[in-house]
Amino acid sequence: MDILVIILILFGLFLFFGGAVGILRMPDFYSRLHPAGKLDTLGIMTIVMGLAIYNLHHFSLGALLLSIKMFLIVFFVFLSSPTATHSIVDAGMRAGLRHWQKKKGKES
Amino acid sequence: MRLIGFIIVCLTGAFLLYGTTELPDWGDPQSPASVHLSNHYIERAMEETQVPNLVTAVLADYRGFDTMFETAVIFCAGLACFLLLRDFRKEKERFYRHVPTGVILHFKDSKKKLPIGKEFQHMDKQWVPYDIIIQSVCRILIPFIQIYALYVVGHGDFSPGGGFQGGVIFGSSLILIAIAYDLKTLVTRIKEKVLGIFAAVGVLIYVGIGFICMLLGGNFLDYSKLAKIIPVDPGHIRALGMLGVEIGVGIAVMAVMAIIYINIVSEGKHDEGL
Repeated sequence: MDILVIILILFGLFLFFGGAVGILRMPDFYSRLHPAGKLDTLGIMTIVMGLAIYNLHHFSLGALLLSIKMFLIVFFVFLSSPTATHSIVDAGMRAGLRHWQKKKGKES
Repeated sequence: MRLIGFIIVCLTGAFLLYGTTELPDWGDPQSPASVHLSNHYIERAMEETQVPNLVTAVLADYRGFDTMFETAVIFCAGLACFLLLRDFRKEKERFYRHVPTGVILHFKDSKKKLPIGKEFQHMDKQWVPYDIIIQSVCRILIPFIQIYALYVVGHGDFSPGGGFQGGVIFGSSLILIAIAYDLKTLVTRIKEKVLGIFAAVGVLIYVGIGFICMLLGGNFLDYSKLAKIIPVDPGHIRALGMLGVEIGVGIAVMAVMAIIYINIVSEGKHDEGL
């Protein structure tokens, strides 16, 4: 059990790290939303899942209820975070923001 | 006239600043608040009020009068928003959109109306195509947000939370309806009159509980006197009185949040907006 928890949390931290690097390094609005939307969602999901499993060490009804609530958090993050990213991208498209293109040589 | 106002504002500010020189410093251990008051709250709150959450005990019981006027301030904010922004002039032109074809109809006569349904939709200047993803996710999420808001209100006397926070969460779920669908959906689901009545009723519940305590022979907002009419364990009666007060606060805050949002976003017209 402990090994599973450690793997899940380390994986979540790795995803968060990737998301942070992506937000800093990506060239424009849309591509920055890509790591922000995907990696943070999965990172939060794995970390909270790891914590929920860790919480079940001393098995009791209270601990089980708490873990179920944590899984509910995972469920809602899974629903709402991609939707928020989608609506932000949608708003950017409607406002007419152009996407980034690789510059060709020195002209332009 | 403006100059006089400016001078008055400056003078008031100067007096207020002058007044602060008499106040104790930040974190001064010799100030009256740290010497007597905090210790009293921390040591005696549990036995005096029987409420496990110290913050709620201070906020709703020791300083219940203060919190009552905070609720009244929020009510006044909603009222001011309504009085300043509300515009009762009827719009003359209407736009409808024929859903299957996307054709837009322009009505110049304000009396003619089309039935809104699967065939025709309302349309306005800030219309954006409905996004099925956002709508369906909001349909799923809004009931849970509202249940969570009620949970926060109901658990105010045991755990962090309370009327203000719960009311704001409930109001944000109403705002989410307006963002995911459109403003007309929200306004037709919750009428403006209902919101106004809710805002007033919330404050009235708070004041009413205070007055009931007075009628039963106690001080204003002395919850322990409620035990005469509510047959529960007398140790728990203060928590119950606080719960009633928190419900009043929650209703008022929820209604005022919605009123402020609707009025600001539609410039007081209540027909179009974000």
